[in-house]
Amino acid sequence: MKRIARISILASALVVLTTSSPAADLTGKEVFDHYCSYCHGSSDGAGTMQLRRTRGKDQALLAERTNLSPDYIEYVVRHGLKSMPPFAPADLTDAKLKVLAAFLAKKLPPGD
Amino acid sequence: MSEPLPPGMNAHQMADALERFRKVIGGEWVFSGEKVASYHDPYTIPNDPERYRAHAAIAPASTEQVQQIVKIANELRVPLWTVSRGKNFAYGGAAPVLSGSVVLDLSRMNRILEVNEKFGYALVEPGVSYFDLYKHIQEQGLKLWLDVPDPGWGSVVGNALDHGVGYTPYGDHFGMQCGMEVVLADGQVVRTGMGAMPGNNTWQLFKYGFGPYVDGMFSQSNFGIVTKMGIWLMPEPAGYRPYLITFPREEDIEQVVEIVRPLKLNNVIQNAATIRSLVLDAALFTTKSQYYPGAGPIPPSVAKQIMVDQDIGMWNFCGALYGPKPVTDALWSVIRDSFATIPGAKFYFPEDRQHRPDILIHRADTMKGIPKLTEFGFLNWNGGGGHVGFSPVSPTTGQDAIKQFKMVSGRVREHGFDYMGLMAVGFRELHHVTVIVYDQTNAQERQKLNELFGLLVREAAAEGYGEYRTHIHYMDTIAGTYNWNDHALLKMHEAIKDALDPNGVLSPGKSGIWPKHLRQGRKS
Repeated sequence: MKRIARISILASALVVLTTSSPAADLTGKEVFDHYCSYCHGSSDGAGTMQLRRTRGKDQALLAERTNLSPDYIEYVVRHGLKSMPPFAPADLTDAKLKVLAAFLAKKLPPGD
Repeated sequence: MSEPLPPGMNAHQMADALERFRKVIGGEWVFSGEKVASYHDPYTIPNDPERYRAHAAIAPASTEQVQQIVKIANELRVPLWTVSRGKNFAYGGAAPVLSGSVVLDLSRMNRILEVNEKFGYALVEPGVSYFDLYKHIQEQGLKLWLDVPDPGWGSVVGNALDHGVGYTPYGDHFGMQCGMEVVLADGQVVRTGMGAMPGNNTWQLFKYGFGPYVDGMFSQSNFGIVTKMGIWLMPEPAGYRPYLITFPREEDIEQVVEIVRPLKLNNVIQNAATIRSLVLDAALFTTKSQYYPGAGPIPPSVAKQIMVDQDIGMWNFCGALYGPKPVTDALWSVIRDSFATIPGAKFYFPEDRQHRPDILIHRADTMKGIPKLTEFGFLNWNGGGGHVGFSPVSPTTGQDAIKQFKMVSGRVREHGFDYMGLMAVGFRELHHVTVIVYDQTNAQERQKLNELFGLLVREAAAEGYGEYRTHIHYMDTIAGTYNWNDHALLKMHEAIKDALDPNGVLSPGKSGIWPKHLRQGRKS
C-alpha cells in the first residue's frame, strides 16, 4: 500500500490512505521490501532458511541470486511454490510484479 | 483446465456478468483465465482438481462499488465469495467453497480511515493488513500497540471476522472489534451499534447501540459484506517483559493448564499466552531431516535431542508482563512460584536465551504486536509445504487438556505426522490448535490427511469438543457437529440467510450455511 494523500486530519487523527494503483509507482526494490522481505530479505527469514537448505547457501538470499529469470519469478509469485503461497494481482499488481521481476533478475547473465 | 461455472450458469452468462463487473470497477480489476490461479487454495487437501475453484476474481475499491457488484450478482444470480485479503491460508486462502464462484477480493479497499490515540482504536477497511496498520502507527509515532496473529500480511478485519487470535492482552480479535459497516445482499449499507445514529461520536467506543446486537452475525458468516470495522488498540504499556517457561514432559500439560486457569481468570497472566509443543517450536528454525531421516513421527529419543539442542521443552509457555515494573515484578513472582511446582520447569527472559534464532526472541515481538511471518517457517518441517489447522476448544482444565492432547497427538502420530500443537489461553477456554504439516504435492499424503482430519472431528465431537474455525473443505463437517436439537442453530442460520440473501449470492457454503437452492442433501 502506498500512501498518496492525507485527505483530512481531525483531532482524533483521522487519516485516509488511498488504494493502490495498477501502475507500478514503486521501484523493484521497494516492491521486494514490501511484499517479499519478511521471508526472503534476511538470513533468518522462513524463505531464506528453506532455500539455504534446499539449494545451498549461495542460493538462499533472493536478492543475491544470479539465476532468476523474470518469467520464473512471475510464475512463482502468481502460483506459489510449496510453502510459499501465491500473490493475487489485486494487491501485487502486474505492473508491480514486472518491476519486482526485473529487480530480482538483475544479476542474470545477459542472454540467459 | 477451463475455469468452472457456478451451478445453473453457462459460460455466456458468466461472460456477461464479468462484463457488467468491468463497467463498475474497470477491466484491470477483473481477473479471469490464468490470473485466477493465485486465488486457488495453495495448500489443497482434496485430490479432485474441480473442488474449490473460482471462476474469476474481482477487486472493487469502495463500498459503493461493492453495492453495485452485489446488485448485479443478485440480478444475474452470480455467487460471490468474499475475502478481505485472502491470506487465511491454513483455512483455504482465497478459494471459494462453491466452485464457479467469483472471488470478491477486497484487498484494494485498504484505507486506514482513523486511528485514535486518545481512545485506542482504529477504523479500517478490509484490505488493511497488520503490516499496513503497524507501519502507519509507527510512522505517526502513536503510543498504541496492535494485536497481531502470526501471519502479519493478513487482514485486520478478516482475521477478526474469522475469530482469529493474537497474543497480547487484546488477543481476542473479534472481542476487540467495535462497530461495522456492512453491505447487505440487496446492496443496502448498514452501520451497526452507535454507527446507526447520524452524528454520533461513539461508533468505535460502545459496541451495542440500541436493540439487538448483530455484529456477530457477520463473523464466520455469509449474511453481508463488511466494508469497515473498528478495532480496539492497546495503549503502549509502561513496561514490557516477555518470558518463556519450559516443561520437560508431555504429561506436564495437565498440571500446566491447572496452574494457568486461576492465574488467567485473575489476570495474573495478562496476555493471550500460548503453550506450544516441542516440534512446533523446533520447526520454526529447523527441519525434520536435520534430526531424523526416517518416515513417520520423530521418536522420543530425537525429541529429547531437540530439547537439548534448542534449549526448549516438550511444552513451552510463552507469556508476557505488561505495565510498570513494580506491577510486573509482583506478577512475575506469582507466576514463577506457581509454575515452579512442576518438576523440571525452567524460566527464561530474553537475555537468558543463548541460541539464535530463538523461540522467545521471536515470540517477544509477537506478544508486543509486531507483525511478522516467522511462523511460516514451520511449514518447511518436512519439505512439503502444506498445512491445515485442527482447532477444538477445550475448557481450561488439566483433565481436558491432557485428554485432548492424547486424543489428537495419538491419531496424528498414527497417521505418520508429527504433533505440532499449541494451546492458546483464553479467559476460560483453550484454543487447542494442532497444525498438521503435510506434503501437498503428494496425493496419497493428502488422502491420509483427509482421513485423519475426519477422524479427529468425529472423535472430538463424540467427546463434546467443537472446532472454532476450519478449512473450507471441512465447513459442512464442522457445522454438522453443532447439531443440538436437530440442527436448530444451523436452521436458524439458514432462516437468516434466506431472509437477508434470498438469492443466495453471498459466499455460498461459508461455515456450512447454504442458500436454499443449494441446500438439498448437504445436511449430515
